[in-house]
Amino acid sequence: MAFDTDPRAEPVRLSDRVYAILALPAMAFFRLFEWPLRFLQRILGIGAMPYVFLFPNLAFFGIFVITPLILSIGFSVTGGTNLFLQDRPYVGAEQYGYLLECGNHLDPTTCREDRFWRAIYNTGTFVFFQVGFMVLFSLITALILNREIRGRGFFRAVFFFPVLLSPVVVALIWKWILLRDGVLNAALVSMGLERILFFVDPTWSMFWAIFVSVWAHMGFYTLILLAGLQAIPPDLYEAAEMDGTSKERVFWRITLPLLWPNMLVVIVLALIKAVQIFDEVFVLTGGGPGTATQFIVQYIYTTGFANQVQNFGLASAASVVLGVVLFALTIVQLAVTRRKDEG
Amino acid sequence: MTEIKLNKVVKAYGEVEVIHGIDLEIHSGEFVVFVGPSGCGKSTLLRIIAGLEKVSGGEVVIDGEVVNTVPASERGLAMVFQSYALYPHMSVYKNMAFGLENAKMPREEIDKRVTEAARLLQIEPYLQRRPKALSGGQRQRVAIGRAIVRDPKAFLFDEPLSNLDAELRVAMRKELAGLHAKLGGTMIYVTHDQVEAMTLADTIVVLSGGNVAQAGKPLDLYNKPRNTFVAGFIGSPRMNLVEARVAANGTGFDLVSGAQTIRVPEVPGLEAQSSATYGVRPEHIAITGEDDADVTATVELSEQLGGETYLYCSADGLPQLTVHQLGQLPVERGQVIHLKFDRSKMHVFGADGNVLANGLPT
Repeated sequence: MAFDTDPRAEPVRLSDRVYAILALPAMAFFRLFEWPLRFLQRILGIGAMPYVFLFPNLAFFGIFVITPLILSIGFSVTGGTNLFLQDRPYVGAEQYGYLLECGNHLDPTTCREDRFWRAIYNTGTFVFFQVGFMVLFSLITALILNREIRGRGFFRAVFFFPVLLSPVVVALIWKWILLRDGVLNAALVSMGLERILFFVDPTWSMFWAIFVSVWAHMGFYTLILLAGLQAIPPDLYEAAEMDGTSKERVFWRITLPLLWPNMLVVIVLALIKAVQIFDEVFVLTGGGPGTATQFIVQYIYTTGFANQVQNFGLASAASVVLGVVLFALTIVQLAVTRRKDEG
Repeated sequence: MTEIKLNKVVKAYGEVEVIHGIDLEIHSGEFVVFVGPSGCGKSTLLRIIAGLEKVSGGEVVIDGEVVNTVPASERGLAMVFQSYALYPHMSVYKNMAFGLENAKMPREEIDKRVTEAARLLQIEPYLQRRPKALSGGQRQRVAIGRAIVRDPKAFLFDEPLSNLDAELRVAMRKELAGLHAKLGGTMIYVTHDQVEAMTLADTIVVLSGGNVAQAGKPLDLYNKPRNTFVAGFIGSPRMNLVEARVAANGTGFDLVSGAQTIRVPEVPGLEAQSSATYGVRPEHIAITGEDDADVTATVELSEQLGGETYLYCSADGLPQLTVHQLGQLPVERGQVIHLKFDRSKMHVFGADGNVLANGLPT
């Protein structure tokens, strides 16, 4: 009744006091900034303060993102082998012309810079299969891990574990498995089968490049999809059960539409990551055999840094082209997600 | 028409038994309300009937058929969920049509049924909207519509009004009663709100700790509670329940609580030197003169509602007493008043909490 003592008045808990003590050093640290900020506010006025707070982040972003971007555009429109921009002659769009000139764009051998176009086609193949399998397998894994299975926590950890590994470590592990004298071939031989030279065969190399990168990153996308699956209210499934919905129909008509925003995030992130693929495949196959698994970022790296003649201009032009492609993908992503929000 | 029977239904989660062998018969066309505090098993019982939970023992019988192993979809029941459970990516129309599409019903029939239900529930203008664009009350109607279109053997409602604000709740309550009158189907309704139970039910089943505390017509439960739990649960504000020691006084008994003694006539089953509980509803307490009084109490709070007045009083040895008076009563906080309990409406319960008398001879 109205005049009972209020049970909601909580006593001060011990943990609150501990937090208060732990917060002291942080408060002391922030005190250090107090007088310079007060000083700035006095001379700049309070209207300028938001910019003062934004400045450190903007400066960081400017130095490490915007400046290199401008520099690489600068390098792409200049020629020669000099490192410093002021020593390089302006050549306009010549680098781009060299990169993009082809007799037939569908056939890399007719292009002036055939390595670039080969890298583009390789990347295209890689992206198509890698993203497809990535989405498919992470969806299947998430669906399984979302069920009430024994040892669910353990399996969730197992599938996420490769994400924590460095790409180079991942590639080295698989390289040792797949080499001529690797674990897999040893197993094949012991079963009386013939050794397969995985890194000599272009198709096998591409297969393993795709397989290893799916293996390494699948856990991350599985996690995103798992979160999406768990956000679907269980009531909906019960309502569907009462409605007499078959299992397949529940998946196609309820689970998949409600998971779609997360699927979209997964597709776009996987797409962007796949276009940027470099380190794993570089360590695993070195781009070989020949140029069979050489992708666009590796092309940029070898052109700019690893070749005998370091062609910064051409590498920068290729970077800018890659940047434009990624920018376009991001625009598509934004457009699609925005339409989703409005719908 | 549909009859639902529960025979010794038991539900256990691992070692923990939450429903302890419930027997219940629900007649065709009846509006049955399961009511009880949180954790009493009312929702579990509903979900067992729906087929969303498996029984651990006993039988669920629908129209003479034991349905223990029949999946939810084949029991022919429709459920309205507390959260409404509308499919957020489908329009109102699609939400209502979904179950019928599953049954591969012809397009025209689906259209006819959805339109009819929409007209009945006055949601026709919203058929093309998504649930997101509807108010709570409208969503509630869509959820009910989704049940209606399936023409189920029985409707199951799981606390359907608890997400609505007070005003809308009262309005929807009336509509539900009207809907039952119009459709005439068997309905099972779960709520923790005894006012909803009293106003909607043909039969109320009060559940407590996984058992049926009492089942019966609303006013029977109100007038003749079988035990202190039902007495305290049904009725708002709740019945005043006072624990007392019993002493013989020659012609009857004295019920002694601290400094207060209430004289009552002979009650069968009541024994001297035992403990007992007596109950009196707020409206069965009269304000009277000092000579005539059972209890002299101090007013701690008076709630003036205009048409009626509630007084919350304290007296030495008694729990707080709620007194209901019709009309406006000029009583102030701290004032001392004299109260008399209407013996003909008093309830006496034994030491085990079971009723000994509902109404005493005067």
